[in-house]
Amino acid sequence: MLLKEAGLVREMAGLDEGTPLFAQIAERLAEEIADGGLAEGERVPSMNELAAFYRINPATAAKGINLLADDGLLEKRRGIGMFVASGARRRLLAQRRERFAAQYVEPLITEAARLGIDTDELVTLVRESSQAIPVPAPGGVTV
Amino acid sequence: MRTWRDVARYHLVMPWAILLIPWAILAVSFIVNLVIFSLAPVGHHEVLTSQGLVQVANAAHNYTGGVASIYILFFAIGTSIVGRSLPFALTLGVSRRSYYAGSAALGVALAVADGLALAALQAIERSTDGWGAQMHFFQVPYVLAGPWYLTWLTSSVALALLFVYGMWFGIVYRRWNLVGAAAFTAAQLAVVLAAVLLVASANAWSSVGHFFTGLTAAGLTGLLAGMAALLLAGGHATIRRATV
Amino acid sequence: MTPPISVTGLTRRYRDHLALDQVSLEVEAGSIVGLLGRNGAGKTTLLRILAGQEFPSAGSVLVHGEPPVENEAVLRRMVFVREDQIYPDVRVRHVLRAASWFYPHWSAELADALLADFDLPPNRAVKKLSRGMRSALGIVIGLAARAEVTMFDEPYAGLDAVARQIFYDRLLADYAEHPRTILLSTHLIDEAAGLLERVVVIDRGRIVLTADADDLRGVATAVSGPVLAVDEFTAGHAVWGRRRLAGQASVVVVGPLDQADQLRASSLHLDLAPLSLQQLVVQAAGQPADTLERTSA
Repeated sequence: MLLKEAGLVREMAGLDEGTPLFAQIAERLAEEIADGGLAEGERVPSMNELAAFYRINPATAAKGINLLADDGLLEKRRGIGMFVASGARRRLLAQRRERFAAQYVEPLITEAARLGIDTDELVTLVRESSQAIPVPAPGGVTV
Repeated sequence: MRTWRDVARYHLVMPWAILLIPWAILAVSFIVNLVIFSLAPVGHHEVLTSQGLVQVANAAHNYTGGVASIYILFFAIGTSIVGRSLPFALTLGVSRRSYYAGSAALGVALAVADGLALAALQAIERSTDGWGAQMHFFQVPYVLAGPWYLTWLTSSVALALLFVYGMWFGIVYRRWNLVGAAAFTAAQLAVVLAAVLLVASANAWSSVGHFFTGLTAAGLTGLLAGMAALLLAGGHATIRRATV
Repeated sequence: MTPPISVTGLTRRYRDHLALDQVSLEVEAGSIVGLLGRNGAGKTTLLRILAGQEFPSAGSVLVHGEPPVENEAVLRRMVFVREDQIYPDVRVRHVLRAASWFYPHWSAELADALLADFDLPPNRAVKKLSRGMRSALGIVIGLAARAEVTMFDEPYAGLDAVARQIFYDRLLADYAEHPRTILLSTHLIDEAAGLLERVVVIDRGRIVLTADADDLRGVATAVSGPVLAVDEFTAGHAVWGRRRLAGQASVVVVGPLDQADQLRASSLHLDLAPLSLQQLVVQAAGQPADTLERTSA
């Protein structure tokens, strides 16, 4: 159904041991929204559907959904279910951008420093790599 | 009350074990006895009557005692009610008290029904002159020798007594295993022994003897009923702390 | 609202040992609680007492606000699936029919579906069932009863991994549609970990840990790598156990590790492996660190 269409079935199975399950559920849903797999206004899987799929307690799944709902990324429609709120994708991508520096750039610089690569050399490396790796154009979402 | 009905239903979920097996055993015993009686003629002796010398069947040899099999079966069923059926009943949420009461009620009902059947068979036996072979299977001297309603009463009480006794035995075994069952039996023998010693010491044999010979079948039935009530109370007291 | 299960200071003493020692526990309505611990820890005794099948030596046990012993009103709202259930000499379908009379919410439809799932022949005598099939029968009863308080005591003896997964899946599916309070005692912890909302660990008759399952994830991490790096990384952290082989060491660090810690670890070429629920329980139940290493392989 929804998850299958998103083509993430294999990825979705198997949660890890390190973080609370509800947080992982929330994270995965957020990723699906950010990647465009779940469009704005589209229905999000119910807590029972998520529970059955991941083989976890429905209460845990509900906690994950509520986490996103509390952040305003999901909205509840009485009697029907949870839907992706408008502007959710934009907000998630903005969050990712903010984290980008801490998550990717800083480690890059630290490791480069350890190996004795200075900033100019680093920039050259980045340019070379970006020519070798095709970078998709931003999906029409301006932040 | 509703639980009692459910307990009875529970025991009867596979009916033949409780309803038919006692009769199956009895039927086997009956057939065996009948065959023997048909083949081996009853002894006769001569008696002087107004018509002269007459051959009369030896009454004493006609009784088989085979009817005891159904009584023994009732005891056996009583024990299995506790041994095999109690554990799952407790799991189903029946209290021990309800289980005991419901099972005992079923046992009494069966005893009354089967007692009636025994009385009917006794009537048939009388009218067919011992099944055509002078066999007294359903008639037992003194105890089961009276009118049909008395036979019904005595049989029912005796069957119920054995059923309840079996239940108590089963409970004792469940709580204290083989050792307990042995101790239970030993205790009963001790009680009997104590009674005998008491009577002997008071030199009261004659009065005891008079009491028993003076006891009619009805009186004996009353005595048995009293014993059954005692056994019922005993079983009830013992099941309260039984675990499975 | 009265909690479905409320136990205070429960003690159960047998002639030669203390099975339960001052156990106190409260279970929230509609939650799935895992009762974890070693064999002989006291899990079965606790469940039997909750089911009114055993008698407490001291303390109070309340199910739906009342003591369960000989209390039919309360016992009918509860189903207890035991490992070693003795059944009468009847067939599978008779057992299910009897169960349908006693459980007010019994679902014959679900029972039939489960019989098919587990390949249980309804006409077979219970005596003749294999160990796995007997367990399956217990599970069918436990689920189809839809009792408000459902208790399973290691219900999968003899069941293979496929059958166990069927159990977990059916349990979840029916729980989602008909919520109830479930107490699941198991030593196959990682299999069931996802189902559990709350975890209670018992060791030697005492409760040693009670927590939300989610709170326990990531609470301890095994750090492995070169000895010096490990020591440097774990300095200042609370640790459980330490294993060493030549130049390598492995230590369990207590307390969550944040992103900074993770970066530091990778820069030190250390391997981080969060402890699974099973490993945590093993630790909490006082096992030596050797077992920890073996289970985390």
